[in-house]
Amino acid sequence: MSDYEAFRARARTWLQSVAGEFGREARRGLDVEQDLALGRRYLAARFDAGFAGINWPTGMGGQGLTHIEKVIFDTEEMGFGMPTAYFGISLGMPVPILMRFCEDKAFVKERVLKALRGEEIWCQLFSEPAGGSDLAGLRTRAEVDGNGWKLNGQKVWTSWAQYCDYGVIVARTDPTVPKHKGLTYYWVDMKAPGVEVRPIKLAGGDSHVNEVFFDDVRLEDSQRMSPVGGGFAVAMATLMIERYVATDSGGFGPHLDLFVDLARDVEVNGRPAIEDGRVRSQIARNHAMRAGLESITTRAMLMMQAGMEPGPEGSLNKLVAVRSRQKLSELAIDLQGNAGLAFDPHASQKENWTASWLNAPTGRIAGGADEMLLNTIAERILGLPQDHRPDKGVPFNQIPA
Amino acid sequence: MSILLDEGQQAIATESRRVLEARSDKGRLLGLLEQVGACDAVFRDTAVEQGWTALAIAEEHGGLGLGLIELGLVAQAAGGVIAGAPFLTVGYGAARVLAEAGSAEVQAAWLPRLASGEATATVAFAEGNAPLPPRPTTTFAGGRLTGVKEGVVAGLAADIAVVWATSAGEPALVLVELSAATRNPVDGFDNSRLYADLAFAEAPATLLAQGDAARALALDVLARMAVVTAHEQTGGAEAMLTIARDYAVTRKAFGQPIGAFQSVKHRIAELYGLVEIARANCIHAAALADAPGGAAGFLLAAADARISATEAYDTAARDCVQIHGGIGVTWEQGLHLHMRRARSLAIEQGNLLFWEDLLVDHLTGEVA
Repeated sequence: MSDYEAFRARARTWLQSVAGEFGREARRGLDVEQDLALGRRYLAARFDAGFAGINWPTGMGGQGLTHIEKVIFDTEEMGFGMPTAYFGISLGMPVPILMRFCEDKAFVKERVLKALRGEEIWCQLFSEPAGGSDLAGLRTRAEVDGNGWKLNGQKVWTSWAQYCDYGVIVARTDPTVPKHKGLTYYWVDMKAPGVEVRPIKLAGGDSHVNEVFFDDVRLEDSQRMSPVGGGFAVAMATLMIERYVATDSGGFGPHLDLFVDLARDVEVNGRPAIEDGRVRSQIARNHAMRAGLESITTRAMLMMQAGMEPGPEGSLNKLVAVRSRQKLSELAIDLQGNAGLAFDPHASQKENWTASWLNAPTGRIAGGADEMLLNTIAERILGLPQDHRPDKGVPFNQIPA
Repeated sequence: MSILLDEGQQAIATESRRVLEARSDKGRLLGLLEQVGACDAVFRDTAVEQGWTALAIAEEHGGLGLGLIELGLVAQAAGGVIAGAPFLTVGYGAARVLAEAGSAEVQAAWLPRLASGEATATVAFAEGNAPLPPRPTTTFAGGRLTGVKEGVVAGLAADIAVVWATSAGEPALVLVELSAATRNPVDGFDNSRLYADLAFAEAPATLLAQGDAARALALDVLARMAVVTAHEQTGGAEAMLTIARDYAVTRKAFGQPIGAFQSVKHRIAELYGLVEIARANCIHAAALADAPGGAAGFLLAAADARISATEAYDTAARDCVQIHGGIGVTWEQGLHLHMRRARSLAIEQGNLLFWEDLLVDHLTGEVA
């Protein structure tokens, strides 16, 4: 057994031992506050068991292992439905960026330990009403104020901001230079005076994203994590931080087995749905797509284990899987006919086709819309021309609004 | 499971691509479309010279003793230049049946000759629109074969065929020399595949396997040939992607390269996704075929490869022509060569309907 297989076995054993306390069944029927509280307890248990911060330095409370062990653990964990969603962004981007770019190491260590134990949560304040896919188009501004800064403006789509203690934020510090060059990166205390968080109710009925308003919020200069005007590079580093993460070829919706079960249970015009050619074709094509994505991921992992750089095809995962989940969910509702009209707002999108369908559009937009991913593939991998960008090189305050 | 290529495999991929690109000729391929019974002799000679016919035949029979992974890499290169490659796929399938089920005498008589390229073989499983009919109407009795097999790939050129037939009420695999068959050429849309209807009237033949053993072997060999074909399709799809991309960066309209328009740019990016998913499935299936204990998952993996590669090649051919506009539909430009090959390969070794059903049967446990 390789070291990796031994690690996987150890992870699985521990996960199984706590699944009853924290897993899918334990969470059924909990409201968000209760689920979050359970999640905090799960993170503390995970920390104590030695599975927190797997690829982070031991000096920061991590395990000092590689990215491969991290992906192995995440992949195993995903199957148990643990309450980890609240901490995904926090531990995924802002906290690693804090470790890399914040100079007050004592402060950093305290934050990292609390984040790993689920005691504190960080959010990422990037998107704005006028700058989503066009990140550098943001308008939130930070102005010099004595020996610190004064922050004003609005962010949007900020995941879990209502439960967050801290955030990382990009703000415009110089509107007279081209848009990418006038940005600066800070961390911000979400409990500071002048910060207001307003949850946004989404199509599926849940409110995990927020609008966040900043009204004369005071930032010390020690909260700055990039050179003045050098914020865009840190923002990019944030987005690139983990190119290969645990992926789900099901697009974070139900497993294909559930669709096959459904197709066996229902009839179409008096015949079993599983014998209907239209249904069979969709099952087969979905299977082939998922198998391809899984093979790409497996190959990338093997390449990393062998010390090689995986190919760029790993970028296809989200693009292909979520769209496919959306269409399969539509067909699953179709198969149920009038019985498919019922909806349980508390159902899991990984187990319930209606919940999966209603939430699928989020997956096609968040973290880079399909169109942005297609642009990235076209420009970075295939060398096709960049989109026409009329604001290129133009000082931000001269770009027509 | 080795889904990372080793150095030798990398070399085969690079070298086969180099040789085939140097020797491919669009004019020659266009010429082949207008005649029946002619094959791409340059490709056949190259395949023999490079040892591709010997690749997956055991060393004891004069082969190189390599496997489906290596053959797949060559097939991918052949697909990229639309080479007339039926010998590779069906030759491999026939040799596999002989190696698994042939007597020592049959193996000694044919395998070294197939490896050296002195003789060529094909596989005749399909009848009508059924790629592997449960009860073939072609019958074998008393050492004689009778019946008709339609659209046999390489049927116009092969010396021998492995035929799917019925013997004493059970399915059987039978070896027949095609000098004893009547070959009727199929004048088709992709003539370099050498399709023929083969008619047998009491042709002398040799029984190789019968009953469940024959059924299992036929399905395994069909799946192996499907994986080789999927590689060829992926190579073709990748070529279409590259051609579309190259055209989109050079051809200008409205003052800029057409590749700057998202309608074109995104269409090409989508092709990249289809090609890489097909390639990943091909690599996985080829590795599983020869892996110890891999048999259980192999049929499913073969179906995945076949389905995704068929979708990739058809879509890439369709979109590449569309991106070229008018020039893309001319005879001389030759994109129709890929269009034709995408469709002929989609039918050979079982159509999408066959593989989709087989995959779902496996998922629902309805396979014997």
